[in-house]
Amino acid sequence: MFFAGLFAIYFTLRSTSPELWASQTEKLDVPFAAFNTITLVLSSVTCQFGVFAAERLQGKRTGKLFQVSKWGLVEWFFLSYAMGAVFVSLQMYEYTNLISEHVTLQSSAYGSAFYLTTGFHAAHVTGGLLCFLFIIGRAYAVKNFGHREATSAIVISYYWHFVDVVWIGLFLVIYILK
Amino acid sequence: MRAQSNIFWILAVFFFVADAGYTVWSLLSTEFQKVEWTGTLGIGLAGIMSVFLGYYMNRSHFAQSGELPEDRLDANIDDGDPEIGFFNPFSWWPIFLAAGCTIVFLSLAVGIWLIFFGVALTAIALVGWVYENYRGVYKH
Repeated sequence: MFFAGLFAIYFTLRSTSPELWASQTEKLDVPFAAFNTITLVLSSVTCQFGVFAAERLQGKRTGKLFQVSKWGLVEWFFLSYAMGAVFVSLQMYEYTNLISEHVTLQSSAYGSAFYLTTGFHAAHVTGGLLCFLFIIGRAYAVKNFGHREATSAIVISYYWHFVDVVWIGLFLVIYILK
Repeated sequence: MRAQSNIFWILAVFFFVADAGYTVWSLLSTEFQKVEWTGTLGIGLAGIMSVFLGYYMNRSHFAQSGELPEDRLDANIDDGDPEIGFFNPFSWWPIFLAAGCTIVFLSLAVGIWLIFFGVALTAIALVGWVYENYRGVYKH
């Protein structure tokens, strides 16, 4: 609902000042954002493999580090964490590029809409990253990985998939539809 | 589940009819005479969301084994009581978390230096709450 409001802000501003959108959207680096989107979508996949491990009640790996088929929840969530962190870092890099091209929060209605939508999404991703760390910590804190740990891992995965789906919407609206 | 899925199917039909009505109305209106995209998109999306939920409830209805109390006329209210799960006997952490968030928001009004204390308290409260059954008295 919150993101629906942000989408509404974006579309309303876009319909009131189309010429601003025409000049400002040219500054976006679409291939860069597409790469970033793929990273986030793949992190949802690795997160889901972590959930499968949690449903087997397997906290840690049973094989060597690079035997991916033997991975437990901890390894999959560490990988998801890394990919999510890459996503946020690259997005901050994109922000610095845009600011150097004079697209800022104050510069215009386009800048406001862009940073509000993507910024709130980035804040949600950062919250999800912290949740990953909490769940990994729980897996390390117990001797036997049980249903309580598995449930919290599954709940976090729902959140992560939601954040991912919102980004797909944002990517389509901001970078493809313009 | 049948009642739940039916509610969302009804909502979906309502939103699509309302969306069509809204679009036609904005086209016919003497002042506007074009499609008003904010409302058309918003109501249409609400319809699509209802279809999602209705479809999900419908699938769950066919996947469940046996009938839920909601769908039986002779069921009692407490037949629908679910297994709620596990709760702590008591916990101080929510109060600490609330205090941390209060200081964070207070810092926006009073002075940004306060935010360092607020963020620190919030972090401590979060970690304390998440791990309260992993250490101390209620360790499992």
